[in-house]
Amino acid sequence: MMDVCNWDGTVSAKDFRIGALSFAQKWESLNSAFPPWSWVPCPKHSWLASHELLQEEGYLSLENICISRPNEEDIDQNSQTDPGEEETSCSEKEDDIDDATLVQSNHHELHYCDFHVVYSYTFRVPVLYLRAYCSDGRPLLLDEIEKELPACSSKELPETKWAFITQEEHPYLKRPWYKLHPCGTSEFMKLLFLGGDTAQPKLEVVLELYLLSWFSAVGQVVGLTIPCKMLNDR
Amino acid sequence: MAAESPTSVRKVVVHLRATGDAPILKQAKFKIPGTDKFAKVIDFLRRQLHRDTLFVYVNSAFSPNPDELVIDLYNNFGFDGKLVVNYACSMAWG
Repeated sequence: MMDVCNWDGTVSAKDFRIGALSFAQKWESLNSAFPPWSWVPCPKHSWLASHELLQEEGYLSLENICISRPNEEDIDQNSQTDPGEEETSCSEKEDDIDDATLVQSNHHELHYCDFHVVYSYTFRVPVLYLRAYCSDGRPLLLDEIEKELPACSSKELPETKWAFITQEEHPYLKRPWYKLHPCGTSEFMKLLFLGGDTAQPKLEVVLELYLLSWFSAVGQVVGLTIPCKMLNDR
Repeated sequence: MAAESPTSVRKVVVHLRATGDAPILKQAKFKIPGTDKFAKVIDFLRRQLHRDTLFVYVNSAFSPNPDELVIDLYNNFGFDGKLVVNYACSMAWG
């Protein structure tokens, strides 16, 4: 087994699949603020079909997530809002609702997003794909997405290698999706596991936690957060 | 923690640790109220380093969400009385 200090920050397709299923399980039990991920299998058809089933390809899917921020009128009805938390976008503005805002909120359309975690055979890392749309199905362009998910705007990710957004054809669905480009992933994965000042983990542990660690970084860019206890629950 | 009275705010010792090519801070250790969000640590780092693009992570291969409370991070990942927060800057391409 390869030594972890020689590890290049990537994972095999098989380890991706194992890690993805484990990630989805942990998410379902410890991240109930969000719906669960599902694994979507994409069986490859080949003359080795019976053996290929063991190496089933697929991706993780989380769909129909509303990414619109609640406006002032929605706050009271929003049961997920923790009354103890600061809501910077609304509590300070409660007294300032004017007619223009009320008119806007009546026409406030909701935006949704689908997220897929797909393995990249080129980079040997997971990649986060996203596609956003209105309730009538109209796809959102990147600048509209950035209004709802400010962390992925070019202001927040300036010239950074860690993650930048490009548009590309979804490898399985063959339609244009946005994705967080994976070229920096192996570098920050190495930092996550090897950059700390604690003893280096065993490679098996790294592979087991890979998807969780990866997601803790990239999920933030699109507003999908995971609670820290997900990484502590072994 | 249960023994603390509600009016006393327990502070957490945070140690900022440079990794990769990141510059080392002169003041790398400080105390912060446990009830503060991690976002405050990130903002402090950004101001000290004059950089917006930072990669911030804790020892257990986890990049904390800015809304997490510092005390929760300490309880999960703290060691030896402090929370070590590692940071790296964008590395050069290639």
